[in-house]
Amino acid sequence: MRVIANIQMVANIAVLFFVIPLAIIAVNTLLPKKLAGRVSFYLGGFAGIMQAAAAAADFFLLSANRLHEYEFSLLWDLSIEGSERFSVDSLSLVMLFCIGMVTIVSVLVAKQTVHDRKRAYVNLLMTLILGMNGMVLVTDLFSLYVFLEVVGLSSFILIAMFKTDTGLEGAFKYLVMSVMATVFMLTGLAFIFMQTGSLQYKHVGMNVLRFQSHSQSVLIYAALILLISGFAIKTGAVPFHSWLPDAHQSANTAISILLSGIVIKVAGIYGFIVLVDLFNEVPAINMTVAVIGTVSIITGALLAMQQNHFKRIVAYSSVSQVGYILLGISTGSTLGLLGTVVHIFNHATFKSALFSNAAALHEQVGSLDINEMGGLEKRMPVTAFSSVTAFLSTTGIPPFAGFWSKLLIIMALWKSNMQVFAGIALVASIFTAAYFLRIQKKVFFGKLPDKYENLTEVKGTVKFAEIMLSVVTILTGVFFPLALLYLKGRGII
Amino acid sequence: MSEQIFESAILITGFLLIISGCYCLIRTYHMIKIIIGIEVAMKAVSMFIILSGYISGNEDLAQTFVITSIVIEVVVAVVAAGIAINLYRKYGSMDIRNLTKLKG
Repeated sequence: MRVIANIQMVANIAVLFFVIPLAIIAVNTLLPKKLAGRVSFYLGGFAGIMQAAAAAADFFLLSANRLHEYEFSLLWDLSIEGSERFSVDSLSLVMLFCIGMVTIVSVLVAKQTVHDRKRAYVNLLMTLILGMNGMVLVTDLFSLYVFLEVVGLSSFILIAMFKTDTGLEGAFKYLVMSVMATVFMLTGLAFIFMQTGSLQYKHVGMNVLRFQSHSQSVLIYAALILLISGFAIKTGAVPFHSWLPDAHQSANTAISILLSGIVIKVAGIYGFIVLVDLFNEVPAINMTVAVIGTVSIITGALLAMQQNHFKRIVAYSSVSQVGYILLGISTGSTLGLLGTVVHIFNHATFKSALFSNAAALHEQVGSLDINEMGGLEKRMPVTAFSSVTAFLSTTGIPPFAGFWSKLLIIMALWKSNMQVFAGIALVASIFTAAYFLRIQKKVFFGKLPDKYENLTEVKGTVKFAEIMLSVVTILTGVFFPLALLYLKGRGII
Repeated sequence: MSEQIFESAILITGFLLIISGCYCLIRTYHMIKIIIGIEVAMKAVSMFIILSGYISGNEDLAQTFVITSIVIEVVVAVVAAGIAINLYRKYGSMDIRNLTKLKG
């Protein structure tokens, strides 16, 4: 009896992922203008905290009940045939937790970088969260696409909303690339629909290779190519990465945190996870994803070495790190998926930390050109420390969190007979270290220019965000062996 | 037989529309023309969805998909036009060759 009550709780909590953002939008819109200026950020932060708490609670309830996944609906009856089903499982709950965490960081940073249009910022943030929550909870490809568009549209407006030259330019480039992705994806969906007559995951997964006639398999391969291209554009994987550094550099830093920390992962990587899961019988898909991943790792790192803008380097670093995540997905094994999920969490942490550093530097120094900086370690110790932790975690130096996720991914690659890719992933870590050492040396080490003699450490919420993310990175790294022991007990590694 | 010709005709028209839309994206420098190109390509996609509903015998589901995708299309067009208007106010022209602030 108690177990049944708990299961009902899972659904009740899961409904919150839709209710919280909608309620916050309603409250925030109805507030009088004067009050909204003061309260909006608190509402946004509240939504983030609630989301993270709900995801954590649901995760523990689900594992306490030994359930794999749980299906629920909002207001309609699940027993009607063809009704939309939402489903929570461990993977989607980790994603939801990451969304909540990045939202909190974004609001903390926005408190110091967003000075006008606070209400609009929070409302768009909530639409973005709603779209991302929808993406990880739906169970059919068309709804996935609809929520993907919600995410995309909110991001365009968030990038462009402060009407700077660069913001508008970045948003326009992102929009055009994104529409290409939409066209590819919808055409692919139409082909799959032609074949299966339904776009629900379970029907697609069952029917996709049932027909073996030549023209039909051509259709499925065409659909697969189109869908992979579409999601690769959304992820910013090479060769579709051209929009990513532009959009992430030009947006307000609070918004760059969202875009780089979570949007590319939910909008792109999650799509890849679904695709590899649905089409796991098509042998070519693993190799394709692996090759895209490897090329992304190397190209992203090489391009990051040549940049001089702090945020642009961090954005190219996202291209490179996404490559590791794609390699983890390409194995198709449980271990690989686990490495992927842990790396998604770690990437959300350290990329948010690096963008918070960018916000701190922008607030205090006033510019983000790394050639103008130097020796800031003495004046901004907290920012320097947080940047060094994030960089060590990105590179994969042992006690930090990034080491464990990369280790899991490389182990998974080795076990699924993709040793070449494992070797490349290992060697490419050197490139990661190279471009991050360049940033550290130019920004934080060396001689302090005379004009920065009176510089002080950033205060308030940005400092808090930096400290929080460093603590999360270090604690995850230090306590991760416990998680490994648990996994070994379960027989996964 | 005539049904097959009808289906292939729609498929080919759709591909031609997508190609012309992408050609429009690549070859023109005017933002409004780019938005028109986007819309042309999206219309072709709607046609594909209708065709696939017809072939798989799920016309009702296809109709709901198409209506949803039309709504999304309109919103995308509105946001794109909004960004284009703001860029026009900044630069005084709709030429995308002005957009050279972000490089590298």
